[in-house]
Amino acid sequence: MTDLDIVGIGIWSPFFPDWPAFCDGINNGNWQSDAPLQPGLIPPRERRRAPQSVKMAVEVLDQACSMASVNPASAATVFSSAMGDMQITDYLCRVLVAPPRLVSPTRFHNSVHNATTGYWSITRNSHAPTSAISALSYSASMAFLEAAVQATEEDLPVLMVSQEMAAPAALGAICPSVNPISLALLLSKPGLFSAALATFRFGIQRKSADWPALHPDLDEPFKGNFGSGLLPLLAAIASTSSVPSNVPASFEFPLSKDACLTVSLKDRENVGAQL
Amino acid sequence: MSLVITGYTATSALGCGVECIQGSILGNHSGLRKNDFPGCDLETWIGRVSALETTLLPRHLEHLDSRNNRLTWLGLQQDGFLASVFELIDRIGVDRIGVVMATSTSSIGRTEEAYMHLDDSGLFPAKYCQPEVHNLHSPGIFVAEATGLTGPSLTISTACSSSAKVFATASRWINHGLVDAVLVGGIDSLCLSILYGFNSLELLSPGPCRPFDIRRDGISIGEAAGFALLVRKDLAPEAEFELLGYGESSDAYHMSHPHPEGKGAVLAMEQSLKRADLSASSIEYINLHGTASKANDLVESYALSQLFPTQTLASSTKGWTGHTLGAAGILETVMTLESMKHGLLPGTLNCEHPDPEFKFPILTENTQKPIRIAMMNSFGFGGNNASLIFGRLDD
Repeated sequence: MTDLDIVGIGIWSPFFPDWPAFCDGINNGNWQSDAPLQPGLIPPRERRRAPQSVKMAVEVLDQACSMASVNPASAATVFSSAMGDMQITDYLCRVLVAPPRLVSPTRFHNSVHNATTGYWSITRNSHAPTSAISALSYSASMAFLEAAVQATEEDLPVLMVSQEMAAPAALGAICPSVNPISLALLLSKPGLFSAALATFRFGIQRKSADWPALHPDLDEPFKGNFGSGLLPLLAAIASTSSVPSNVPASFEFPLSKDACLTVSLKDRENVGAQL
Repeated sequence: MSLVITGYTATSALGCGVECIQGSILGNHSGLRKNDFPGCDLETWIGRVSALETTLLPRHLEHLDSRNNRLTWLGLQQDGFLASVFELIDRIGVDRIGVVMATSTSSIGRTEEAYMHLDDSGLFPAKYCQPEVHNLHSPGIFVAEATGLTGPSLTISTACSSSAKVFATASRWINHGLVDAVLVGGIDSLCLSILYGFNSLELLSPGPCRPFDIRRDGISIGEAAGFALLVRKDLAPEAEFELLGYGESSDAYHMSHPHPEGKGAVLAMEQSLKRADLSASSIEYINLHGTASKANDLVESYALSQLFPTQTLASSTKGWTGHTLGAAGILETVMTLESMKHGLLPGTLNCEHPDPEFKFPILTENTQKPIRIAMMNSFGFGGNNASLIFGRLDD
């Protein structure tokens, strides 16, 4: 078991465009319904061309780094999404159904799973390692584990992203994601940054676990969404209500049918109350 | 902690298993052929796995059917690799072995097929409703199910560096104590997205690719599956090879062009040397990324010139296999290990007139030389770079 700090959080969905909005929803029930996605980091001209997966990831990565006042070039990145950019997959597969099969070169190079971290490293001029992974329904928990292990073993802050787009109609039957969501956590060894939002301990257990229940208001929009699994952890950090009355401080996130990731929050700032 | 490799295999256009690699190199016989991929009329050459056309999945894996998973299954059967996985399972248990796979396009070939058969409501017909296939983790799911492994499992997809990075992730997992061993691998199969996509970027050569040649005019796409077992050294004292170092970096330059000074490539190689605690001069051979694109080869040779003495032997093997994208890192790792095993360094097939603009000499002819320490480079779109160093252990 190892201790790590969460030093920055970024989050975006149509219901909560950033961390203060998420805290407002968790603590006061104030949710938005159609929040725009306009990552300030991407210049407006580029923003039109950037695919949605990139815009979502860059937005939450930027939020997490800003919150922690961390130079993004010093942090490694682990991006995760079960399905990648489903709008581009849908586009490619439709174009390729019949001749002339003319593929847009820009959309093709944006189709790589690591387009998100590629744009991020270019925008922030970061030469730090970046990875892009999938573990299908376990993408969120495996990305958390991958980032936590990297932060521990390599002594550098690691940004992790858990993201899923809304599935286009044709892919709906194989992917249950109805609403887009992206969230980022910046993890580091304790002591590297003064302002930790929470300190946690993580490990693996050989037992099956169900995903922790989502906040009642978020259950309907995000149930079964491959990118929403870590929301209960963020809700616990956001919550201003006293511990442990209604918010668990220890979590089990499934990694497979018969293993789970345990994350125990040791102490946390009353973040929601400060905002 | 020292990590060793107890088993490895690769299947590519050269054939199934490692014996085909040695035979092809000795005979200077390329696996590339004129494009004959069904549904694709592009004028280019491809590295197609012939045996794949008659490969079927066993009944218990049929629900995972796709060209990519058939290639995975075919690859797992070679070189006694599955037997070495089962032997390790008997000793340490299914839950102490992780699965870290790599791919660029996963089973998208199957998704393309599904779109050609959408029903009247625009949905997948029942035959194609395979949630465990139409996603980026399809290789990891397939390998875990085919082997029975229950340790942590994920699939890395960082374009053409994917299956070099599996060694970095696996090292961290083992060093952290999450697992004692990791089955690493990479699989990419021919599909329309890749062929027409690279064509749209004007990166396909009309003929067999010519890495580092002055007349090089683009890449040849190939397909491959490769696997290795990375194990804690104390669990495998007899192992022949060890992983000495890895490096990962980003170019921070452009989505599909390498950094003009090879900054990310240099950083990845420097980091792997640092982890291995080796000087650049102790690297005896480098298996290069060497795609035969104008930009990659120029930049990679410039990156080499910044670090290595010119007597370091370096070649690209893509003239034999084509560029196998997300499988390139593991295929070329296996080719590098075979080079060390047999003391036969592959030249750069199809490189007849090395580009005089290069700042670093390229090994063009096959060379017999026993070596103990070798490097393998993989660079990908998004400016994603990885470099690995392997050592041959005492006999």
